[in-house]
Amino acid sequence: MNRSIGVTLNVIGLYGIALVLAAALAAQILLNELPCPLCLLQRVLFSMLAIGPILNIRFGPHPGHYALSLLAAVAGAVVSARQILLHIMPRDPGYGSALLGYHYYTWAFVGFTAAIALIGIVLLFDDRLRDDAGSPPAGVFADGAVWLVIGLTAINAISTLLECGYGACPDNPTFYELLRWLR
Amino acid sequence: MEFTALFLSVLVVMAVSWWGSHRLALALFSIALLASVATYLHHATDTLDLSF
Repeated sequence: MNRSIGVTLNVIGLYGIALVLAAALAAQILLNELPCPLCLLQRVLFSMLAIGPILNIRFGPHPGHYALSLLAAVAGAVVSARQILLHIMPRDPGYGSALLGYHYYTWAFVGFTAAIALIGIVLLFDDRLRDDAGSPPAGVFADGAVWLVIGLTAINAISTLLECGYGACPDNPTFYELLRWLR
Repeated sequence: MEFTALFLSVLVVMAVSWWGSHRLALALFSIALLASVATYLHHATDTLDLSF
């Protein structure tokens, strides 16, 4: 696989992660559905999924960078699978509303599983992963992807602080703890 | 509060990955991942009503 194609795939991957984080935030704000602790953990792990591509863009593709994303994706799949199992019994309405027939944690499981498969495919075909020719120049397209993911993670940090306040997050949050505390 | 801390730690890892040293980014990623796993184990206490 050409080195620049490898970097471009990582940039596209970053935009994909940004899309997932933005969709979760949009559902939270537009539908006023506050994320539960396991939902927040899935968002954290989606953000961690972005660290491999960021390292690949800056230092050049390397199997170790893909391994970081792989570990984050496996952890995310475990967390989302547990949430699916919590609500798998018949007549359980699940947590939150459904999108296209599936709850967000089910989509998260699909997303993490897809990430594992995609990383496997990239590792299978990228025969220049051990190339140490130096870091490729990051263009505006790549810079934008990195800034977008960093910005969305920062917004998530602020929204989580507003939701949970300085204590433990409730299992079924219905209001922003810190906003109520500030009033 | 622990989730805010996790998001902030991921932000730090991202910043170090983009502007800082490679080795430090890997070390911080390991810490953030271990903290995430620990948080998961802390919250995954409900019994799953399942039988396989």
